Amino acid sequence: MAILLTGGTGALGRELVRVLRDDAQGELFILTRDPSSAAGVIAQPGVRFIHGDVTHEGFALADSDAAVLRGQVTQLVHCAAATSFTLPLETARAVNVHGTRNVLAFARDCRRVASIACASTVYVAGRRTGIIRESDTSSDGWVNTYEQSKHEMEVVVRDAMTTLPVSLYRFSTIIGHSQTGEVTGFNAIHHALRLFYHGLAPMIPGDLATRIDLVPVDFAARALHHLVIHGFEGGRTYHLSAGTERSCTLDELLADTVSVFEQSRPAWRKRRIERPAVVDVDTYALFTRSVEESGNVVLQRATQAVQAFAWQMAYPKTFDTTGADAALADTGIVAPHVNTYYGKVVRHCVETSWGRGASDGAAA
Amino acid sequence: MVTPAPSPAVGIAGAAYYLPPVAKDLRTLAKEGLLTGDVAPLETFGFARARVAQESHVEMAIHASRAVLEETDTDPADVQLVLYAGALASSSVAPCAPPPRGSLLHLGSVPELFRYPASILQQELDLTSAVVTGVNQQACASIFSAIQLGRMTLASDPDVHTVLCVASDRLPDGAPRDIIFNLVSDGACAVLLRRDAPRNRILAVHQVTKGMMYGEVALDAEVIAAYFPTAVTVIQDTLQKAQLTMDDIAWIIPHNVSLRSWEILLGMLKAPVAKLFSGNIARVGHTMAADNIINLRDADDAGLLKPGDRLLLFTFGFGLNWSCMILEH
Repeated sequence: MAILLTGGTGALGRELVRVLRDDAQGELFILTRDPSSAAGVIAQPGVRFIHGDVTHEGFALADSDAAVLRGQVTQLVHCAAATSFTLPLETARAVNVHGTRNVLAFARDCRRVASIACASTVYVAGRRTGIIRESDTSSDGWVNTYEQSKHEMEVVVRDAMTTLPVSLYRFSTIIGHSQTGEVTGFNAIHHALRLFYHGLAPMIPGDLATRIDLVPVDFAARALHHLVIHGFEGGRTYHLSAGTERSCTLDELLADTVSVFEQSRPAWRKRRIERPAVVDVDTYALFTRSVEESGNVVLQRATQAVQAFAWQMAYPKTFDTTGADAALADTGIVAPHVNTYYGKVVRHCVETSWGRGASDGAAA
Repeated sequence: MVTPAPSPAVGIAGAAYYLPPVAKDLRTLAKEGLLTGDVAPLETFGFARARVAQESHVEMAIHASRAVLEETDTDPADVQLVLYAGALASSSVAPCAPPPRGSLLHLGSVPELFRYPASILQQELDLTSAVVTGVNQQACASIFSAIQLGRMTLASDPDVHTVLCVASDRLPDGAPRDIIFNLVSDGACAVLLRRDAPRNRILAVHQVTKGMMYGEVALDAEVIAAYFPTAVTVIQDTLQKAQLTMDDIAWIIPHNVSLRSWEILLGMLKAPVAKLFSGNIARVGHTMAADNIINLRDADDAGLLKPGDRLLLFTFGFGLNWSCMILEH
């Protein structure tokens, strides 16, 4: 077995590398634009870094690397993605859509390839509300360019399902490790927490009863590993999410956040920062427009950062996990309830000052 | 600070105000260098003109106080307590002429440190029986603090039956009039509190101060962000104190900060904008501590208030202070 992984330096990719190495199955190639820094980030034995870029046809590989991969790769796991919510659409497409086309084209040249896994997001459902099933492919528009470009990526992947052994793995929001709370990739959710911590997140759209679906990175990696390496089935789409039973409400999430802020930094309590108000869509739109018109740069940046994903709260939905649950049955791989680890992640954010390594001055 | 409803009930027996006759529109203010930012956002946020005083803040306070005494047919000698409020630090001292440009205070000698507006007010209006004191560290919420202190005094001291609360503020000459996207005017208000007042019975007052945020310019963004969720909490807590809901409120009597901010706040509270008495935001601007009383009086004069109407007054001041009061008209 020889596995080619794209996106190995991302939060999910790094954890997946650890799981793959623990499993010690065959050779692991990691495609990276910068092999020397990737080696510093991943630091796992038995990993071979290949210089290449998914945004180029054939990954712009050296001839010798291309020959090795085409001859050896049996599993291709495509996790590389542009995950920022605020990218211009064409920039997001370059990686998420065209990059995936390049991955699938390359896979066609790999004569031993038996399985191709493409990581996606449950939020390809965009503005849809209600129960989203693994078989659903439609949306009612999207909240950000990440969602749209991933939706377009899925169209490309589904087209290839008739000719390639490929499946889609839609992840919920990955926020940190369920045991340690460690965050290796800070994303929009973590940034929003930081703004809340600093009193710069006055409101978010939605409803207190809206269910918030999060998964820890260790679950995401173990589930993907099992489904690709040990239980692969082509032409499938899986929801690797908390689902209704293991998600929590927005109200619970905000309460837990405040609780951890207060416990981790007693000085934060002294500031008496209110938790963000949960408001209707019209009020939130008026607020964000007013911030833009005000010209206050600090608040503009804060509001732009939050609204890139916050609009999703206004479209409540839950993700059915029937297919993933069946495929993972008897493996012991189950998404833990958000309430069991979310606090650890928030604590990690506070204690590392959101990855900057020093305590946050404002409330230290 | 949540204060239980004192018994017997205290109400606002009279309300009056004074606005300087000089009103300058936004473009004039910009031309005269009295705005630090652009005209456009102020217009977008509902402002049109500011009142600019040639009079001193004490003269404005005297005008407003004399009016409320006359209109309520109150003998000045019957006023037992004067609570003189001001949003600006300069409102707590007697005016000194001419202050140097850019200076809040100009004190030429030590005795000037003991010249108080409340003493001048007492002297000019013959408030001979009154104890006079100042309330001056709640910024635009200072009149609410004065009313609350007067209400508590009336409720607890049977010998006190009439309290005069005054607020007056005037920006220094040449000071910019746009402060955090609001347009500031000069003006004064006065209210007469009485036990068993026939109208405007005070049902509940609630105030919150967050002293950690004491107004550095760099905190503008944090102040704006804190304003909304805390305002919602304070208003909801006041309604709960009065055992009312927003549906029970007939009119919202605002402080004259931007109309846009009120639209957002009302959206958060799920209250209709039609309940907001908002015309004075454009007509008057934000007179710091006097807004709510000016608006209460104008809403009454316009015939909008019916007996028994529940009125919700809300304001916010640097410091940071959030204050809410519910009246029964």
